[in-house]
Amino acid sequence: MNGLTYALMAYGLTAAISLAVVGLIVFINRIMRDRTPTASEQE
Amino acid sequence: MDQLIHLFPGLGSFLIDEPAVSATRLGLIIFGMVLAYYGFKRTLEPLIMVPMGVGMVAINCAVLFFENGTLGNIILNPLVSDPAELVNVMQINFLQPIYNLTFSNGLIACLVFMGIGAMSDISFFLVRPWGSIIVAIFAELGTFATLVIALNCGLTPGEAAAIGTIGGADGPMVLFTSLILAKEMFVPISIIAYLYLSLTYVGYPYIVKLLIPAKYRGIETEFDMPEVSRRKKFVFVLVTNTVLCLLLPVAAPLIMSFFLGMLIKEAEIEPLHDLLVGPILYGSTFFLGLLLGTLCEARTILDPKVGILLVLGILALAISAVGALFGGWVIYYFSKRTYNPVIGIAGVSCTPTTAKIAQKIAMEENPYCMIMPLAMGASISGIIVSAIATGVFVSTIGLLNP
Repeated sequence: MNGLTYALMAYGLTAAISLAVVGLIVFINRIMRDRTPTASEQE
Repeated sequence: MDQLIHLFPGLGSFLIDEPAVSATRLGLIIFGMVLAYYGFKRTLEPLIMVPMGVGMVAINCAVLFFENGTLGNIILNPLVSDPAELVNVMQINFLQPIYNLTFSNGLIACLVFMGIGAMSDISFFLVRPWGSIIVAIFAELGTFATLVIALNCGLTPGEAAAIGTIGGADGPMVLFTSLILAKEMFVPISIIAYLYLSLTYVGYPYIVKLLIPAKYRGIETEFDMPEVSRRKKFVFVLVTNTVLCLLLPVAAPLIMSFFLGMLIKEAEIEPLHDLLVGPILYGSTFFLGLLLGTLCEARTILDPKVGILLVLGILALAISAVGALFGGWVIYYFSKRTYNPVIGIAGVSCTPTTAKIAQKIAMEENPYCMIMPLAMGASISGIIVSAIATGVFVSTIGLLNP
């Protein structure tokens, strides 16, 4: 693989993993918010 | 004359050594003094520059004659690899144990990362997670562009990747990458990285002002600081650490160290938190600076590749700054012009320096402009993306033809 192709591949992979990590955090945020007990449940 | 030379070997060795080496030694002694002084003046980062400058001066002054007639010092010898010789040298050179047991295996970089993690708050990241990560991805432009340029300059793939990581503006990350990918060049690469990183506070404001007109610099960006429970933050960090360690095992020591620091902070384990942000962070930063200085021997610096590395290092940081600001503009347009593009510079992860730069520049135009939480979010994203880029390099560099 030549340098430019490798750099583009590595940059793309870095971006994809980074976005996936954020997606995961946002997903967890949503799930945990959904699971927060309501006031009536707390009572 | 010969007796005089042996009586004062530090001075006498200047006469015996090759002229180029002697001249470089003299230059490094002066340079070390300048670094220490500018550290004292706070123009450069004092935590690194004062010990580094002193180490540089000492290693180039304290040259003496050994029994076999060779020149050397009793501070540090980074080239010893034979185990029997190493055990012997460790009992003589006072910095040798710290170098071999903490520096050359990357432990010191991990310790610094634990401290940085313990000071980082993921809440900032959650203010605008997508915007922060996109800016941070753009801020890695310098890393990958420099890789291509370095390859065209004749560096090996490992050296090109290591010098490229300076674009991520993360000292421990550069040290770690160069130790793994370019062991023979890690000394000049790490020194150049720390030297340039301490100059970002001086140089980056000029790039920001060049690429963002004054009327955009003071844009007030509305945001809500999310109320995230400690439990939730702990789970975020734990899951992110698990996923990244699974995806990038070669970068796991750094990733684990950073997130461990964050987890200890979120778990409110006060004794450990105090240990990480105090003695461990400051102690490892001190020894990192001192070791980098003592590794600056004339013969190391005389390597012809060092000149290329000096140019590539500053190029990496400059391209990353341009990329980061471009990222700031992208978010500005996508957020219907409600995002201050200056925040982009914080995507270059030099935490918290770049975030402070963004806030300072914004306040120069608009004293009521508060962008620090967003800038810190971008900065923390920058650390995460830099760690991912390091992991990608270390895992995939074999795909590149030498």
